Amino acid sequence: MNRDLILAVFVVVLGASGLFLMLPHKHGLAKPRKAHAVGAGLAGLALLLFASYWSAPGPWISGLFFYACAAAALASGALTVTSRDPIHSALWFAAVVLSTSGLFLIAGASFLAVGTVIVYAGAIIVTFLFVIMLAQMEGKAIYDRAARMPFRATWTCFVLFLGVLWSIFQIPPAPAVNGAAADARLPRTGELVQKANAAGRTAVGDVVARAVRPTARIADEEGRVKPHVAGLGETLYTDHLVTVELAGGLLFVALVGALAIATPKPHARPTASTPAANA
Amino acid sequence: MDFTFDMLRSYLLVGAALTALGMLGFLARRNLIVMFLSAEMMLQGIALTLVAFGRYHGNWTGQVFTIVILTVAACEASIALALILVLYKRRSSLDVTLWREIREPGQPEASIDLTEEAEPVEAVGGPETYPQLIPAGIEPDHPRDAWTVRRD
Repeated sequence: MNRDLILAVFVVVLGASGLFLMLPHKHGLAKPRKAHAVGAGLAGLALLLFASYWSAPGPWISGLFFYACAAAALASGALTVTSRDPIHSALWFAAVVLSTSGLFLIAGASFLAVGTVIVYAGAIIVTFLFVIMLAQMEGKAIYDRAARMPFRATWTCFVLFLGVLWSIFQIPPAPAVNGAAADARLPRTGELVQKANAAGRTAVGDVVARAVRPTARIADEEGRVKPHVAGLGETLYTDHLVTVELAGGLLFVALVGALAIATPKPHARPTASTPAANA
Repeated sequence: MDFTFDMLRSYLLVGAALTALGMLGFLARRNLIVMFLSAEMMLQGIALTLVAFGRYHGNWTGQVFTIVILTVAACEASIALALILVLYKRRSSLDVTLWREIREPGQPEASIDLTEEAEPVEAVGGPETYPQLIPAGIEPDHPRDAWTVRRD
């Protein structure tokens, strides 16, 4: 665990310095292109070292797909944050969304993968591009070339990241055994019932069995995985029905709010009877 | 395919990194649109974490909550972009530091000097740096002497 943490500190320091150099601000007398290149090199090295923590989900294609999507997500994320042109940022964010969509696909969330691409990359990013076109400065705006407190921001975010890494590394690395014993490090909710009822039915086992409703489980009682969209729809509309209705209401309220905010208000014309100025 | 603890760990690490990057973009950039894109990137990282935990524990709750996050992100995008448009109309700029006076009464203003901090623009070469093409083909007949006599 100590070795993991030391490597994590190293990754964090490398990544922080790389991103600090890549963020747009003045680096003394150095040329921006050179600072950018050095920063990209450091951040790329940090990404490679960080990738040594990951483990592939399967042998050939799935492992390669996971590594490609994860590395693409992080690289596109770094480029989104440091691009000088907001249109480039929007396009790199589209790459982030596609990469996370690929990661959702491996984790068994195929509906979410497609939904993310349609809603995020298809609707939200397109809306962003339209707003950028409406609100753009011709030429390179000076505020795109200057970051706000880059050192403090980088420091804060990477210290936070180190804290999260530390908490993830609290669970020790795998022992050399395969099977269920290796996953005893973090007990799954599904296995809690078996554990509680290991020596016969207990009251605790009954309570835990009732705690997760059968519609909320990915697999049914025989252990077969439910068909994806059918199972997701079933749990959405039985366990989370109020959530769905509230989400619909939220969308409606947001629509009304956006129209109310963005519609230009006509100027108040002073009439003959009211000499006082109206806002 | 069994979702082992090591896979969960990989997903959590990638999600944490995406969230940290998004937070960095939100704190460090001035352009309102890039700030908002970074906030959306934070939501993507969190969605990865949720989906991984949901799959690990064998229930749908992670994915359901990610769908809710998607909905909230769409609403947030519409309202935030409407606000950005209004702010742009007032000051003709997407700079967030123009709105520094909107803060708590007792707080000091952050000192920002744009000319000092902005990185210099690299000068783009003029016509003298354009590529020179090799002439190809047969040179057509053209007068080589200057026009001295009026030709009718």
